[in-house]
Amino acid sequence: MPENDLPTGRTIIARGGYAHKKGQDVMREFITGNQAIVRGAVRAGCNFVAGYPITPASSILTEVLRAFADGSGVVVQTEDEIAAIGQCIGASMAGAKVMTATSGPGISLYSENIGLAQMGEAPLVIVDCQRMGPATGGATATGDGDVMFARHVTSGSYPIPVLAATDATTAYRLAYEAFNIAERLRTPVILLSSKAIALTRQTVDLEKVQLSPCVERKAAAPDATFHPYKVDQPGGVPDFAPIGGSQRVRFTGSIHDEEGVLTIERDQIDAKLQRLNTKILAGSDALELVDEDLDDSAETLVISYGLADGAAREAVRQSRDCGAMVSHLTLYSLWPVPAKAIRRAVTPSIKRVIVPELNLGLYVEEIRKLLPGIDVMSIQRIDGGLIEPQRIVSAVTADSPCGCRCGGQSK
Amino acid sequence: MTTLAVKRNEMAFCPGCSHGMVLERLSEAFDRMNLAPTDVCIVTDIGCVGISDRYLDCHTFHGLHGRSITYAEGIKRARPELTVVVLIGDGGCGIGTAHLVHAARRGIDINVIVFNNFNFGMTGGQHSSTTPVCAQTPTTPAGATDYPFDVCQTVGANGASYVGRFTAFDKDLPDRMEAALRAPGFSLLDTWELCVAYYAERNRLNRKTLTTLSDEMDLPLGELECRRRPQPPSLAVTATGNAVTKTAEPSIALSWAERTEFCVAGSAGQRILSAVGVIGRIAVAGGLYAAQSDDFPITVRRGHSVSNLILSRKAIVYTGVDRTDLLLVLTEDGVRRVKSWQALSTDTLVLAEASLNLPATGARIERIDRKTAEKLVGKTSAALALLSYAIVRGGWLDEDRFRTAAEFGVRGKYRDENLKAIDAGIGLARAGFELET
Ligand code: SF4
Ligand SMILES: [Mg+2]
Repeated sequence: MPENDLPTGRTIIARGGYAHKKGQDVMREFITGNQAIVRGAVRAGCNFVAGYPITPASSILTEVLRAFADGSGVVVQTEDEIAAIGQCIGASMAGAKVMTATSGPGISLYSENIGLAQMGEAPLVIVDCQRMGPATGGATATGDGDVMFARHVTSGSYPIPVLAATDATTAYRLAYEAFNIAERLRTPVILLSSKAIALTRQTVDLEKVQLSPCVERKAAAPDATFHPYKVDQPGGVPDFAPIGGSQRVRFTGSIHDEEGVLTIERDQIDAKLQRLNTKILAGSDALELVDEDLDDSAETLVISYGLADGAAREAVRQSRDCGAMVSHLTLYSLWPVPAKAIRRAVTPSIKRVIVPELNLGLYVEEIRKLLPGIDVMSIQRIDGGLIEPQRIVSAVTADSPCGCRCGGQSK
Repeated sequence: MTTLAVKRNEMAFCPGCSHGMVLERLSEAFDRMNLAPTDVCIVTDIGCVGISDRYLDCHTFHGLHGRSITYAEGIKRARPELTVVVLIGDGGCGIGTAHLVHAARRGIDINVIVFNNFNFGMTGGQHSSTTPVCAQTPTTPAGATDYPFDVCQTVGANGASYVGRFTAFDKDLPDRMEAALRAPGFSLLDTWELCVAYYAERNRLNRKTLTTLSDEMDLPLGELECRRRPQPPSLAVTATGNAVTKTAEPSIALSWAERTEFCVAGSAGQRILSAVGVIGRIAVAGGLYAAQSDDFPITVRRGHSVSNLILSRKAIVYTGVDRTDLLLVLTEDGVRRVKSWQALSTDTLVLAEASLNLPATGARIERIDRKTAEKLVGKTSAALALLSYAIVRGGWLDEDRFRTAAEFGVRGKYRDENLKAIDAGIGLARAGFELET
């Protein structure tokens, strides 16, 4: 009987809770993606959550309620989604680290306020537990249909960082990283999850997850006169002072000058709006979150994100087992498009790229734009089921140099 | 130190507009209360009143139309010591009615001042939810036919602690404002005004007729009696919180072959999801990887209840269930929900309740008797007993290992009940079912 691939050492079973124990002990747990997101948020120092019940995001709210029951944060169930995100933006500007979670119908109602957080530069983490289809769609069915919606979710089309979880473990990690991005850039950040991640329980070992150092928004010098939207360089992020603190703060969703006062001066308008764009895009390399599993001699590259990633990983393993040379790139950050990582993954021998997605084939177009002259194939599924690894294996091995036609069956 | 940074005639409002006057009164109230600029946050809604923030020397927040209440509530929750005041027009009260009502209902300690001039000044004088019947506006050319919204009664009936209706010209307005600011809980002042650019001119409204308008509309001026509510009982939420005890336990390493896919299909009320969860946790405690995905209709107490569990000694990257190794079917709902009957091969072991008619399938079929399990452990534990039976029967775990792993991995409130069910299942695997043939 083969050994379990359990790291040596003691197994410690965590029974719920949110403490983060350091050390080498193995601490495997069996939790849902939603629970993992709450762990990540709490780990990042989240202390304010407002939300409105919606399948499949609801359990984020109830988990937060338990996490904050010791007084470590504020949680409120509001009258609707508009109030949920509204309270979050208010609390964020008062200095709280905030998060709200919903599904497609709720993101639609968030839309206007996402623009407010963008314009007013309020750090805010938004979780979208995607469901199937438009409108009410399939509340208990899964999909990755919001990838373009997340990018263009509010008027003006200014960029918003968007991350996509692939399972409970990455949901934890990305919830944490979403806070870091939101705080550092003073921007809303959208974390995409999906019913099949949100409500699926998986084995996780959160202690082993590598996290970047925790980022707090840069505080304004306490003694100086505070200029709410002043920056020291063109793509910069203004220093933060909280509403309710000792420095008077102005927040506004109207186009404004450095003082947070409405302006009609074109140079000031241009400076502000250019900055909303450049503060995200100029440092976009730092926002690239991917997982590279590259093979220098591969002719096929699979690029996946979200729900299709699990199938892609399984398919790549099976294809390699039967001799195919294949590379795999997982995208955890979708917007800005991690262009550098994508180009890097296209090693000289790559002839074909395969992009499986749980939607109509949306993100594949971004990849096609980046890789002119390369055959980019789209694999799609929209009926609420998962893409089976077999479909990807067949695509990978169809033109396999080894002539393998086993479709992964020979393993 | 005054909160108002400019004089009335330096404000951008039309000459004669009441907004500037009301802002002066508010500043007076702050001064009387000795509130420093950083003790106050003014949240402005959209409309002409929305440009007030630039004239105020305190924390200011200018957001979206009708949503000012929500930002104010968020700010107040994050900074309870702050005096939070919302400046909103009658338009904002219309589009944001839900927020007004629910903020009042929750008793959140914010203060709302309605700059009510009976129309949308900023967009050209269109009728609003407070426009009086018969009034002339560009969107009611034949006179308004709808009755106005009584914002005071609405919040007063729903939990506000101080509500009043006054005109911008009332001498004692600063007193009323102070009373509102001092009242604990939600307060609202409906302040009647003149929009000299549109409403007042078209409807011959002036300082004097504002008072007669009150009679005509039967909306009395003055303080309004709020409906008193008893203090709600405070119910503490049990904290699982951030302080958590984790105990070191010896590892029980379960041996397991490759990825195995289980599916339990039955009906709501059989506690199928929790049964599968119990097995999943035992597996995780035993060092295995598990993935559980459930399928149930949105009305959880009726219809099918299906739960899939993948167990593997390696990390599970793909959580779909395409090659079921074990299909445990407990009810007719379960039979119907399983769509893959035809595609199943002998790789799949089906354990099906004896009374069920099954569709044609290539799977290996064995029958079980749900009633026997129910008699042993009760209806709500039968699914766990039968799943435990299946795990031993299918040869995935032997009795002893399973029992030890269960002792170790079953936790929580229902530990005893769940262990009993697992034991019963193991027992059934040894004894077999007595099935009528
Ligand atoms: S349009 Fe009406 S409300 Fe607006 S500033 Fe002029 S008078 Fe005042
Ligand atoms: Mg008005």
